[in-house]
This record gives sequence, C-alpha cells and structure tokens, in this order.
Amino acid sequence: MSVADDSQLLKRLLAGEQSAFRELVTTYQSAMRAVAYAIVGSRHADEAVQDAWLSVVRNLAGFEGRSSLKTWLLTITANSAKNRYKQNRREVLLDDLPSPHGTIDDDRFSGDGHWLLAPFAWHQDTPEALLTEDELRECLEHTMLSLPQLQSSVLLLRERQGLELEEICNLLEISLSNARVLVHRARLKVFATVEHFEETGEC
Amino acid sequence: MLTCKQQVARSSDYLDGQLSIRERLLVRHHLMFCPNCRRFIKHMRLMSVTLKKLPEPLPADLEQTVERMMREQSR
Repeated sequence: MSVADDSQLLKRLLAGEQSAFRELVTTYQSAMRAVAYAIVGSRHADEAVQDAWLSVVRNLAGFEGRSSLKTWLLTITANSAKNRYKQNRREVLLDDLPSPHGTIDDDRFSGDGHWLLAPFAWHQDTPEALLTEDELRECLEHTMLSLPQLQSSVLLLRERQGLELEEICNLLEISLSNARVLVHRARLKVFATVEHFEETGEC
Repeated sequence: MLTCKQQVARSSDYLDGQLSIRERLLVRHHLMFCPNCRRFIKHMRLMSVTLKKLPEPLPADLEQTVERMMREQSR
C-alpha cells in the first residue's frame, strides 16, 4: 500500500468506519500472524495478534507516518508478542524438519558437485499458469505449514509479504545470517514441492 | 569456477542481493556456462513470484476482530 493509501485508510479508521477496520485486518493480519508465530509459536500467535490489534486501536492517533503503516503494525505485533511471552522466548531454532517432498540436498549432486538429477522443464512457466492448478495451490500451502516455525514465518514475510531481509531480522530479532539460512532452506523445500508436482501431477 | 552444488547453495543469497561482488560474479560466471543451473535459478524466481501471488483466505476471525477493535475505539 502506498503512503497516500495509508493516510486515506488512517483517516477512515480514526473516523471509526467499520469498512476501514475490515480492510485493515484483511490486508495485514496474515503478515502480523507470521511475525507473532515466529516469536511465540502456534499456541499463542492468535492471542498475540489480538493484543496487537487492540494496541493498534489505542495508538492510532499517534501514528505519524514515519514508517509505512505495515511496518508500524508489524512492529507493534512483534512488541506485543515479545512483551506478553518474554519468559517463553525460545532460542532461534535452526533445527530442520523433513518436508513432504524433501528438498534439494546432497543426493541431487555427484561427488564433484555436478547435478546428478538436473532440474527439468516445468509445464507451466508463469505464476498465473502454476496457480490455476487448485491442487498445486493446496500443495504449496501444505508444504508451507510443514516448515519449522521460523522458516515458515521468514518465508511468508519475505515472499508473500515482500519484506526485506533486514526488516525481518529487526522484527524477529534474528541475525541476517540466520534469516538467510532460514529463507534458503524454506525455498528449497517449496522448490522440491513444485518440482514433484510438475513431475507427477499430484501432491 | 563454482560447482552446481555451490551455485545452488548461494542461490537465495544471489536472488536476495546478499552476495559480495566477487561471489556474485562467480555465480554469474557459472550460470553463463551451465544451462541446468540457469533453469534452476529461473524456477527459483518463478517460485518466488508464485508464492507472492498465492491467494490468501480471509482471516477466519475477521468479523469478531473488527467488532472488538471498534468497541475498543469507542471506549
């Protein structure tokens, strides 16, 4: 959303327009949930998002537009999550979990680092064409849900929400090198899922 | 010259602009000569855009959340 859109929306929110609140929640809740999920896990993510929304309402008049509305909302979410569950804050988990369709790992390469099984051409080569397949959409969602907590949040914030890595690091208080590892692992798993789907036509 | 495996290991950093100039050149050089890795990178890009365009369902608790927010505002 542009700065002009932000300030339009803000005016309507301050005027108490119900449609403006609906628009705000629809547009931003999933990014907020990804932030909360990364910090407090699935058990408390929804509560942390609800905390954040109330805090947003209380502080609406104080929003000065120094950052984008999205950045402001995500910062409030991160703070709500951290404050409420500080004692439960886990270490950054780089532990990995197996994914439904594996990943691009050592097995794909020969001892000298060449492809053993090279990537093959996909039937669809535009996002629109890929997304016309309902089953692939479900399959992608399924793979993303199977990712470890931080991988899943970092991927969602980077790809779906288009945040810069540096912004993700600030929100989640993780190092840039950790964020790079997390996003790379997640992408390779999603890659393996699409590849599997293109090869077999099923999830 | 990088191997394919080394290229794949650097692929996200390459796409996210996180490589040093030297590393970036190494990846570019590899891609120039390796059609398999060119396809891999092309698919990684395609996948990123696809994820960005993946439709998101409406929040399940949309109406309750909106109601709670409006109640809070009118306090």
